[in-house]
Amino acid sequence: MSAELDLPGLPLRAENVTAGYGGDPVIRGITVGADPGQVVSLVGPNGSGKSTLLKSLVGIVRVSSGTVRVGERNVTNQAPEEIARAGVGYVPQVDDVFAPLTVRENLEMGGYLLRRAQVAGRIERVLTVFPRLGTMLGRAAGKISGGERKMLAMGRVLMLDPGVFLLDEPTANLAPKVAAELLDEHVRRLAASGAAVLIVEQRARAALAISDLTYVLGGGEVRMQGLPAELSATPDFIESFLGGARDRAVPSGDS
Amino acid sequence: MFYVINLLIYAAVDAMACLGLSQQFGVAGVTNFGFIIFQAAGGYTAAVLALPPKSANGGFQSYIGGWNLPFPLPWIGAAVVGGLIALPFTFLVGRRLRGDFAAVGLLVTAVLLNLLVTNYVPLFNGDAGLSLIPTPLRGGNVFSVQSTGYEWAFTVGALVLALLVYLFVRRVTESPYGRTLRAMRDNDAVADSLGKNLLSLRTGTLVLGGAIAGLSGGVLVSYITTWSPAAWGYAETVVLFAAVIIGGAGNHLGAVLGAVLVPVGFEEVTRFIPTSNNLPPNLVPSLEWVAIGLLIVIFLWVRPQGVLPERKRVITLPTARPPGDTARAPGAALVPAARTEPADPAGPAGPAGPVVLEAAGLVREFGGVRAVDGVSLAVRQGTLTGLIGPNGAGKSTLLALLAGTLPATAGKITYRGQDITGTPAFRRARLGLVRTFQLASEFKRLTVLENLLTAVPGQRGDSLRGAIAGKRYWRGDEAAAIARAQVILERFGLEPLANSYAGDLSGGQRRLVEIMRALMTEPTMLLLDEPMAGVHPNLARRIGRDLVALCQEGMTILMVEHELAIMDEFCDPVIVMAEGAVLAEGTMQQLRGRSEVVEAYLVG
Amino acid sequence: MTVFLASIGFGLVTAAVLAIASIGFTLQFGVTDVLNLAYGAIMIAGAFIAYVVNQAGLSVWVGLVAAVAACSLGSVLVNTGVYAPFQRRGTSPITMVIVSLGMTLIIEFGVAAVAGGTSVSYTMGQGQTYHFAGLILTTVQLVIIALSLVIMAGVHALLRYTKLGKAMRATAANRTLARNCGIRTSRVITVTWALTGGLCGLAGVVFAMDSGSFSATSTDIFLVLILAAVFLGGPGQAYGAMLGAAVIGIATEVSAAFIPADYKYVVAFVVLLVMLGVRPAGLLGARA
Repeated sequence: MSAELDLPGLPLRAENVTAGYGGDPVIRGITVGADPGQVVSLVGPNGSGKSTLLKSLVGIVRVSSGTVRVGERNVTNQAPEEIARAGVGYVPQVDDVFAPLTVRENLEMGGYLLRRAQVAGRIERVLTVFPRLGTMLGRAAGKISGGERKMLAMGRVLMLDPGVFLLDEPTANLAPKVAAELLDEHVRRLAASGAAVLIVEQRARAALAISDLTYVLGGGEVRMQGLPAELSATPDFIESFLGGARDRAVPSGDS
Repeated sequence: MFYVINLLIYAAVDAMACLGLSQQFGVAGVTNFGFIIFQAAGGYTAAVLALPPKSANGGFQSYIGGWNLPFPLPWIGAAVVGGLIALPFTFLVGRRLRGDFAAVGLLVTAVLLNLLVTNYVPLFNGDAGLSLIPTPLRGGNVFSVQSTGYEWAFTVGALVLALLVYLFVRRVTESPYGRTLRAMRDNDAVADSLGKNLLSLRTGTLVLGGAIAGLSGGVLVSYITTWSPAAWGYAETVVLFAAVIIGGAGNHLGAVLGAVLVPVGFEEVTRFIPTSNNLPPNLVPSLEWVAIGLLIVIFLWVRPQGVLPERKRVITLPTARPPGDTARAPGAALVPAARTEPADPAGPAGPAGPVVLEAAGLVREFGGVRAVDGVSLAVRQGTLTGLIGPNGAGKSTLLALLAGTLPATAGKITYRGQDITGTPAFRRARLGLVRTFQLASEFKRLTVLENLLTAVPGQRGDSLRGAIAGKRYWRGDEAAAIARAQVILERFGLEPLANSYAGDLSGGQRRLVEIMRALMTEPTMLLLDEPMAGVHPNLARRIGRDLVALCQEGMTILMVEHELAIMDEFCDPVIVMAEGAVLAEGTMQQLRGRSEVVEAYLVG
Repeated sequence: MTVFLASIGFGLVTAAVLAIASIGFTLQFGVTDVLNLAYGAIMIAGAFIAYVVNQAGLSVWVGLVAAVAACSLGSVLVNTGVYAPFQRRGTSPITMVIVSLGMTLIIEFGVAAVAGGTSVSYTMGQGQTYHFAGLILTTVQLVIIALSLVIMAGVHALLRYTKLGKAMRATAANRTLARNCGIRTSRVITVTWALTGGLCGLAGVVFAMDSGSFSATSTDIFLVLILAAVFLGGPGQAYGAMLGAAVIGIATEVSAAFIPADYKYVVAFVVLLVMLGVRPAGLLGARA
């Protein structure tokens, strides 16, 4: 059932990003990155700024200082539609599909930037990745189950062959088995096929299990970062989640 | 001479109408696009009360009424009917209907009524309207028919009436009741949670504004002696709105200024434009309308607050204490001693008092989802108890159940021995159990001090009757409230900001205003929903210390928070929730050692 | 019975005019979230543009084309120049209504200033009269009905089968997500205003044709009919507008067979107020 997706990966770099919704900044001086073929997870307690970070990367929240780069291109504070054109695919946590449009039309919107001839073929390809969607192409997206909606949201993003995938808590409100399938199968496969994947997750253990690199956020800043295996062995890791640790980078061979 | 009289009378009538509209729209935030109906109703009432029976008038007009009542009864009737007509409007305005939809509904109602009156002749003589309306105190002995003295007397009367309306409206607005109206305008959901009865406030506002509009209609009708549907189309409502917006919504002098500038100003300006037979006959009136439309759009863009914006209500606090002394003033306990048992002064780690709040088997089910699934807990007096848990654990829902914002599907809640499971939120607040909110809920265009004052329940000045009774009536209650507010402000070190708009404060300061406002009601237990969210760590720590100090005085606090470092430092005990149920309880130290707690957080 | 059938005939024509107008209005609202109360004023401006062309000696149908073009351009200018800047600023919906009322005054009385206050009519033949199934309709009326059917079919095709139409629906459903797909929503919005502005101009001309004589303030009451149709079907729902127009159009005219003709619009008013009070999302809208 595995399909060969050959996605043109692009490195993502956020450097010293400070952003907020107008008043005080929600995130301060955050530096994270994801390389093609990597799954990078952002974990941390609620209110740590994870969602805000993703939104600032796709132009929904204003970056007051710092830069965001996709490949060679500086996309800081560009309009979301331009960032999509730069090859960034974003799956928000809520409002992730066009509810009044059918499943097929949602996918077509995902392929908005494609040439007409390409769309049908891409839809076929997405359906091999998410076969269940094939049984509900004519149904309105607002009427399918939570798990199916998430697959549709991811399928929509897949239509464009993005070089970077940003996923905001994709397993939120999903049953544990569906969540596990989503992470183990689909998210991992995206990276395996060449894209850079940055995923925000509440289910820290599950995220660590599929990541190549993890950042722990807290209070709007990066508290820890490193290889998942080493992080979870560190006593401070649990402290970060449950209060306590300050900025600590676990020494590793990676950058 | 006649020109000046005409100008002044129109100014008086328009000023009254604008004051009524400003009261509704500027102060209470009720956008009533049907406003003109009230003036029309008043006009018709005054007319049919003053007119003789229709047969006596030659029978060429048909109308209801016709009782030939003497002055001032027609005017009084006009005001009364104007107020009564407002009551059916509350169905469109009182509901939670999207603002622009409600406006459309009201606008349409005005057009509909105009249509009905135009077509149903027996009511008010239809399209032709009423004429030959008797003017006050004319005929007979009082004044001779053509005297200029009469005209001047009428003018003075109208102006005096306008002045009285101005003073009356100001008296209502500058009272605690007026402050509540402005709070409702700024954030009606929060005003609701503070126990303000929105429906009654909006109804009161509509009736008051309606009565004033009706009166203005009555005065106008008595002057021009005719009244027809053409005089009150929806274009006239738009003019009044333009006047209030341009003059300054929420400022009563602004309303008067707007009345002078727009309806009157336009009338006068057109007088000076030369008319010639070469121009199409309705060119000038049409251009007037175009100009009004342009003025509306330009003003809303450039200066939406109007020429005379709403003034900040500055309340001078009695002599401040020496700066830097933020320690608790002697005798200024924030926790009402009479309602609590004496607290243990041993500090946060000392043995806590008796159980204050208890929940047994609480369940909240909605839409097939159990957000809270059988929670039982007990909070002891004098503790700063933390409530933590991963996302979706049900913490905010539990808080809402305890506060009464949401009803429980099953289970029992006891507060100081009393069963409060069925008690609504604001009554729990009166018993001493008060909650704060997660999202921004300060009243932005009220000062910090005013924000605090709105929270005081049962104030004498906080009703329409109290407001009308005047300052002498509610002065005492207000002074007591201000005194308490001052104590709280000093305690949290925000006294210098007392007269700043709450909307101008930083995020952290606004969270403090939340907490201070909750303290105004003399609570014995606080339910805080993420009070440190988005707050700078240093300020968060200061808030934490303040909260601990409150607990040492006997206050009980249950606090939902994500910032676990805060929990660690200040809270004991801490309750952990996951998936709608209580997982464990203890100090953060203890909890961190328990694997199921760690798993709950890491599994998410 | 003949009166009843005749009123159904009138109702069909009113419904046709109303359908053209309401679809445009509801799409404007759905995609931009602006209740453009100046819609009626733009309609009558279109009617007058066709009149001017007609008076210059050309057929009123040529004038119709001119009106469509002018109103299309004019609507784009109104949105780009007035509504969009206010919205970018975060203006509240209620203030937007007041802004649109201001625009109504500017446009409607701008037309009145130029055209004068008297009623005018098009110089046009009504064509033959056709009788069938008890209904009596002239050629012009049949053309209007046919036009409305073409428009409805066209809008349906646009929304269901074209990329632009789907992008419009996507923008209306979730603007941010549409942008995340790479859709340039501001362009989609501009095109929406151009299309619906054209519909508005078309509606104005057929309205004027159906009314016989018209003046600058003729569309004031008609706007209420449009609002009733839109809210009955559901604001933002194109198919809802079609349904609403059919119901309101026919109900209004049929009621004139039973109650004095001057009151026939009361039906529309009452429907609108009931919908606002009971189910603001409309019959086809999602339950709030």
